Amino acid sequence: MIEIKNVSKWFGEFQVLADVNEVVQRGQKVVICGPSGSGKSTLLRCINGLEPYQKGEIIVDGVSLSDPKTNLYKLREKLGMVFQRFELYPHMTVLRNITLAPMKVRKKSRQEAEKKAMELLDRVGIPDKAGAYPANLSGGQQQRVAIARALAMEPACMMFDEPTSALDPEMIQEVLEVMIGLAKEGMTMLVVTHEMGFAREVADEIIFMDAGRIVERGRGDEFFKNPKSQRTKDFMGQILK
Amino acid sequence: MLAYKFDWGVLWRQPYGEWLLQGLWLTIQLGALAWVIALSLGILFGTLRSVRFWPLRILGALYVEIFRNIPFLVQLFFWFYAGPMLLGKTLQFKINQISGLNYYIAIFGLGLYTASRVAEHVRAGFASIGHGQYDAVLSTGMTRLQMYWYVMIPHALRLIIPPLTTEFLTIFKNSAVAMTIGVAETTFMSYKIDEQTFHGLEATTGAMAIYLALGMTVVKLMDLIETRFRIPGLMSR
Amino acid sequence: MDAVLKNLPYLLGGFLTNLQLAAFALAGGIFLGALVGLGRISKRPWVYYPVTLYVNFLRNIPLILVIFWFFFVMPILVGKTMDPFVSAAVSFVVFEATYFGEIFRAGFQSISKDLVSAAYSTGLTYRQTAAYILVPIAVKRMLPSLITQSIITFQDTSLAYVIGLQEMVRRTTIVDGLEVRSVQLYTFVAILFFVICFVGSRISLHYEEKSRKAKVL
Repeated sequence: MIEIKNVSKWFGEFQVLADVNEVVQRGQKVVICGPSGSGKSTLLRCINGLEPYQKGEIIVDGVSLSDPKTNLYKLREKLGMVFQRFELYPHMTVLRNITLAPMKVRKKSRQEAEKKAMELLDRVGIPDKAGAYPANLSGGQQQRVAIARALAMEPACMMFDEPTSALDPEMIQEVLEVMIGLAKEGMTMLVVTHEMGFAREVADEIIFMDAGRIVERGRGDEFFKNPKSQRTKDFMGQILK
Repeated sequence: MLAYKFDWGVLWRQPYGEWLLQGLWLTIQLGALAWVIALSLGILFGTLRSVRFWPLRILGALYVEIFRNIPFLVQLFFWFYAGPMLLGKTLQFKINQISGLNYYIAIFGLGLYTASRVAEHVRAGFASIGHGQYDAVLSTGMTRLQMYWYVMIPHALRLIIPPLTTEFLTIFKNSAVAMTIGVAETTFMSYKIDEQTFHGLEATTGAMAIYLALGMTVVKLMDLIETRFRIPGLMSR
Repeated sequence: MDAVLKNLPYLLGGFLTNLQLAAFALAGGIFLGALVGLGRISKRPWVYYPVTLYVNFLRNIPLILVIFWFFFVMPILVGKTMDPFVSAAVSFVVFEATYFGEIFRAGFQSISKDLVSAAYSTGLTYRQTAAYILVPIAVKRMLPSLITQSIITFQDTSLAYVIGLQEMVRRTTIVDGLEVRSVQLYTFVAILFFVICFVGSRISLHYEEKSRKAKVL
């Protein structure tokens, strides 16, 4: 459902993405890994139009992002995104965080939106926190709320930008569990992460990016056992220590 | 829309053009002289607010709170209309004889008002100098007074040049209020031009240009001062 | 105190005018200020440059002059002589919006880019993001500055004196002309302003303390 064709992006003189090609089918789980600055986060942001790209094309469910007539807002409804620093709205309760977009964008009624929100909170394991403010939640809880917030718009695909990188080790597992649950339910997922255990368990395809390029891609275990390029070997050596 | 014939010539036709320039000269005088008062008193009261001896701190706080919470116009009217009366009948009579009294009162009032704002910046400046400095200077045997005069005040002043620039700009803007007691500065003149010619729109627009030019000059001046007196190694620019 | 007491209703009526003018000035100024703040952080040059020009221009000019300028301009635009209150209100809204605009700008700039991205990624439009996320957070964070600026605006309403508005200062000068009890009268108006502004500044300090302790937002 997502096609990325020869996409390149520059920040001024600096090339952030170079000839990236990828196809993500519905129901697939793709994990992207690589050193910082390799363009992984930028790629995600290009897919939902948060960042522009200069060359190539990205097509989501048949709609091209290069087309000036494309309604970016409608497109973003299809793609849920979870950020490294959770980015919950600090001035709103957890419940309101989740119901804001459904009510304002989908024009759902308050009851409908809140009902759905409570279901989602239940699913991520913290229904009791509905009335709390983000500041009163632990990092792991905040991230789970962020996932619920993204799910509230019933996206066709969920994108995760290093969802556990800002978490204390004890809390990483609770978030990964939610993500694994999502994967098992058949959600299409694009995950930028260093959590290789998660990748092993869930990913259909693993992509290694470096300096804006896709250096190597492979399926599950094959990727871990036989990385083809030296760069990949070095990187995997580092993080699998 | 009223049929209005613009007459931009008022800006340079005699005598109106000259009026505006005379007004500008007065604006500069008011601002510059009041600034001297504002700096001196502001440094004084800012220092008072930062010393250890609490009665002095209260004195400083009182001054700042009073002069900050009353509109400048009200302060000016107080000094101009009620001020002389406070001095008793004989002095009052003498004072009212002084020609150009409004000029002096305007400078006095403007200085007093702005000093309260400068005092707050000075206080902030002291607060951002770490405690270490105090201890270091005192340990060389200087008295507190010497410490403030030779070290703290010069240091604090350099730190607060940006907010002081804002206050310096503001003092020229506030000088316009002096027109209400008849001081013939820029704004007064533009109003006077309107009285004579009914082209107040052009006159006030011209006055705006004058204030803009003045503002840009002040900023440039303060930039030069900041560069000249910069403290090396501090993240000032 | 007799001159004051004799004319109390008259004087207080003037004070009411100051309050009313301030209310209009704040409502309009804060609303316009939020828009100005958004304009100042806009990436679209056709928004950013005009707004920046407007802000930098007005911040260099005395408010008195702006009040005069509108007093001269509005009859020409509208076609008839203007009520000083309306003319003053418009001047204040346009003028104070620049100061509130800069306060809002500081507030907006303190919001992380990713938070805005998070909002967009759920499908919210620019308008919705600005209204539900940017403005409320900026207000919460900049509340002390907003209150301080509101107090300044209230003080500034005294300047409407120059176009003859029947506010407190003008009424005080009128009474002074009759009674010549200047010390009483001007002290009274000074105290009135002082009380309101002092209370306001304490409230602002309270919120500043609160946010310094909490640091959650």
